[in-house]
Amino acid sequence: MIRFDDVSKRYQGGHEALKQVSFELEKGEMAFITGRSGAGKSTLLKLIMLIEQLNQGQILVSGRNINRLPRRQIPYYRRRIGVVFQDHQLLFDRSVFDNVMLPLQIEGYDRHEAARRVRAALDKVGLLDKEKLNPITLSGGEQQRVGIARAVVNRPQILLADEPTGNLDPELAAEIMVLFEQFNQVGVCMLIASHDLSLITRLKHRMLTLNQGRLIKDEHQPSRTAAAVAGTSFASQTASRPASPTGHRT
Amino acid sequence: MTAAAKTRRNNTKIRLSTRQHAVAWLSLHRECAMAALRRLWQQPASSAMTLAVIAIALLLPALLYVTGKNLSQFDNGLAQANLVTVYLQADVDEASIEELQRQMAAHERISSTRYISAAQAATDFAQWSGLGDVVGSLADNPLPASIVIQASDARYETAVQLQETFNGLPGVDFVQMDQLWLQRLDSFLSLAQRAVVALIVVLSLAVLFITGNSIRTSIASREAEIRVMNLIGATNGFIARPFLYSGIWYGLLGGALAWILLALLMLVLRGPATELLAYYGHQYQLQGLGANASFALLGGSAVLGWLGARLSVSRHLTRF
Repeated sequence: MIRFDDVSKRYQGGHEALKQVSFELEKGEMAFITGRSGAGKSTLLKLIMLIEQLNQGQILVSGRNINRLPRRQIPYYRRRIGVVFQDHQLLFDRSVFDNVMLPLQIEGYDRHEAARRVRAALDKVGLLDKEKLNPITLSGGEQQRVGIARAVVNRPQILLADEPTGNLDPELAAEIMVLFEQFNQVGVCMLIASHDLSLITRLKHRMLTLNQGRLIKDEHQPSRTAAAVAGTSFASQTASRPASPTGHRT
Repeated sequence: MTAAAKTRRNNTKIRLSTRQHAVAWLSLHRECAMAALRRLWQQPASSAMTLAVIAIALLLPALLYVTGKNLSQFDNGLAQANLVTVYLQADVDEASIEELQRQMAAHERISSTRYISAAQAATDFAQWSGLGDVVGSLADNPLPASIVIQASDARYETAVQLQETFNGLPGVDFVQMDQLWLQRLDSFLSLAQRAVVALIVVLSLAVLFITGNSIRTSIASREAEIRVMNLIGATNGFIARPFLYSGIWYGLLGGALAWILLALLMLVLRGPATELLAYYGHQYQLQGLGANASFALLGGSAVLGWLGARLSVSRHLTRF
């Protein structure tokens, strides 16, 4: 699904953010990228989203070399990737509903169909009763969930998250991870950048460790879900459902 | 149905027909246009300021155009009446006048003549100028008798020829071509036409820059939104669209405001202008912009607003 071949990225001014990084993420796989601040986690995600251009190597997404994508194709490529930001990047001039609606508006969905999908996404993150509120009135955890709803509303094959739990307390952070696992279970390929080692080591997913731009560790761990860590009744329900990577669309 | 099959079905992207796409696209544009209008309304002070500047910039050429249009009525009216006035000497005798009239009647380039005696001239003048008391108080009538010649055609050369023929004949004081001031009017009008064109060009640029600048400010104030839209896969066209609609609204509303201002001005001027025009005959009336020019004003200003927005968008949206 996502393949890095010897990817290097040097920023203007000479800072080398990534050095010869290679890895491959299978369909429906879930992985964390970890490392200290400045290790290159965000850069790696930005390269996948084509916010930044690499200097060396190549990145294949669904078998396509994304660096050869014509400029005007970039928006259409981005629609297939959901992104969750640390600062959620919500718009405070409109309601929760309209925020989640945005990706569908961009794709030109029929209003009725779009509204149905927005409600489904909001239901998924447990915020259906807050759709009319302005996101500024929500708590940090709720805002992050709105951001997640927006990222998944047009059912992307790939979900990227950059420090999605960076501003949240451990309990809320674990809840967010439960959500991510649920999306993963329906076949969404997940790549999550996080420096919250105490949380992600307990989750037992694949873990890529970056240090000063180099990939120094790539650990495949036996799966232990976030639901078990969070231990809520809601979470344990979903945790018992088996992952079905064959079921997702391509 | 297995769980996997169910998931597959739920994830199947719903395909829209071409017609559904067209309907969605149209409603998107309508919403976009209305949202742009609402945004103008939400910032009444700055919008009003921008619209006022656009309206004034458009009002100037419109005003000049209307002035030219009104003046050209005279051009059309008087060009048909190619008049040459032969002023007679104060001490002219009846025989000379008769001789002159006979010559004129025989002249092939003259279609009609009218003799105006000195007394008639004084009466006419008193009537037209409203200075009857002054004229009446004079001991002698200062006005000469004259013969007004209507030439057979409207050509300037004919008038010149007539002037040359009658100038210097016995009893003739001097011959004046009314064509002369028509010539002046003509050249003034063509000058005014050029001025209108030049003004339209210059002030169109002004409208372009005014809208461009307003759009630049609104792009700056919506930076967060633009960045997010860009990240979640909005095309440049999609991001630019609301700004282009804002530009169209600025232009269109500015043009409408200019039209209203012009109409008010005409209303104020109507009374005095009608009085003035009455002196020159009843066929003259104060004319407004007219339907064609009104549509040109509104359409042109909308296009200018759109162009200004385009300029601004192509300069400032590339940053994101």
